[in-house]
Amino acid sequence: MRGSDAALGAAGFAVFVLLGEAVPRLGLVDEDHFPPAGRIAGALGRELSDTAFWSALGDTLTGWALGLAIAVSAGVVAGVVISVVPWLREVTASTIEFLRPIPSVALIPLAVLLYGTELRSVLLLVVYASFWQVLIQVLYGVRDVDPVAEETARSYGLGAWARVRHVLWPSALPYVMTGVRLAAAVALILAVTAELVIGAPGLGARIAVAQTSQAVPEMYALIVVTGVLGLLINVGARAVERRALAWHQSVRGEVAV
Amino acid sequence: MRRLLVGLTAWSVLASVTACGSSDPGGKDTAGSSGGTTAVKVGVVPVLDVAPIYLGEKQGFYADRGLELELVPAQGGAAIVPGVMSGQFQFGFSNTTSLLLARSKNVPVKAVANGVASTGEDGADFAAITVRKGSPLTSAKQLEGKKAAVNTLNNICDTSIRESVRKDGGDPAKVEFVEMPFDRMPAALDGRQVDAACTPEPALATVKAAGGKEIASNFHDVSPDLTVAMYFTSEQFAGKNPELVKKFQEATAESLKYADSHPEEVRQILTTYTKIPATLLEKLTLPRYPAEPDRPSIERLAELGERDGLFEKKPDLDELLP
Repeated sequence: MRGSDAALGAAGFAVFVLLGEAVPRLGLVDEDHFPPAGRIAGALGRELSDTAFWSALGDTLTGWALGLAIAVSAGVVAGVVISVVPWLREVTASTIEFLRPIPSVALIPLAVLLYGTELRSVLLLVVYASFWQVLIQVLYGVRDVDPVAEETARSYGLGAWARVRHVLWPSALPYVMTGVRLAAAVALILAVTAELVIGAPGLGARIAVAQTSQAVPEMYALIVVTGVLGLLINVGARAVERRALAWHQSVRGEVAV
Repeated sequence: MRRLLVGLTAWSVLASVTACGSSDPGGKDTAGSSGGTTAVKVGVVPVLDVAPIYLGEKQGFYADRGLELELVPAQGGAAIVPGVMSGQFQFGFSNTTSLLLARSKNVPVKAVANGVASTGEDGADFAAITVRKGSPLTSAKQLEGKKAAVNTLNNICDTSIRESVRKDGGDPAKVEFVEMPFDRMPAALDGRQVDAACTPEPALATVKAAGGKEIASNFHDVSPDLTVAMYFTSEQFAGKNPELVKKFQEATAESLKYADSHPEEVRQILTTYTKIPATLLEKLTLPRYPAEPDRPSIERLAELGERDGLFEKKPDLDELLP
């Protein structure tokens, strides 16, 4: 079952690459503006042998990882505090619903004013976008805590901290993990966007330079890299999720099938 | 450069806030001295216009004067103007109309050195109005009723294209302008989304390589010696650091002269901070890099901008120019 899935996946990808080669070659789109897959692969090869590419990749990953770490810690702490303190949820709900839909990219002028084109600008956008993903999931997760379990813990005399640790956290964890996975993807999108628009060092800035230089295959090669990065991040996040929730029904169920 | 406007709006809000507070945007700059050298951050756009500053840095013109340059490639004025105004950058690079626009909105930008100028040769400038291969358009007048692509509406491109049309006996009000980044213009011409485009290098060479034609040299039509862009700083910074600004001016003037007389080195340095393909590199028409801005050409540009209704109030050139 798994083997044939992988084979199908590979076949699908091969068809996609072939299409990428054939469409420009057949003249359906202009080769100058959409180079065939082979030329993009060549440009990718040149990128991989360039040290500047690797430092740009490092910059992007640094912005992504730092931003995600800040967003996840802040989101979890804020989410738990808001849920545990009785009236805090009502007090914050409207504000959260107001702030959450603001697109992170709308904060670009603010980021540039505060931090110029440095890493901190990227972090501002990444943290803003991914924080809400985590926070909202934590809020939902806490709401999902079984009241019977909570009451039982209370009647056994567990303190506030112990209840958070042993009842609230395990119940909320599947939600938190979903939030982290979503945040990981969003953080990458925002890291690249920030670099692309502001010019902070990283893959995005490199794409922008390729674009202004009319280096079309290089531009696509870098875009492919961001795609691969997104794929790896998603695979990684799923692996983390599976490990962290190995005890949980949803994951145990998945393994049994 | 719509982003520039967003940035400017944000800046003007900030300006009004900081004017009341004690925070001083010019004061907490990173221009700290250490061991006789001063670190200076310059916001630049990674295109051929800024080749001289890269070349000057390599030649040591800035180091000779105790300036340690850090050239920060940024995506256009959106990042550079607010960056300079808030002291993230000590200097920045911007096109002349954007600086005039900033001045007209009371953003205290101060040009300190020349940037880049038209080549002075009609039909052989580093920017031109181009049309696709096989286009029936052959002159600027024929743009009446057609679509022309510019990188930013209400900026240097449409002002200069209007002047080209006017000079050719046409009515500039009949040209429809569409906003898109320079790098998208070659594809937009091919795809017939626009009839003409304001293309500086390397988009110009790309269009020509695809069989497109120049129909007018729009910058040249404004003035043969048009100062297209300049290096600038904030008034606060210039007021507080006259010595440093003077050193930067001298080093930049030397770099511009050097670049103007060493075109091969300009092409060479382009490979270090752009990704312009080797095939295009040789075909590029390089701009001129005069050491000083050309005031009459800037006056002309301001006049034309005013005629087009770009400015809320007339920009004061004495305040802007060094």
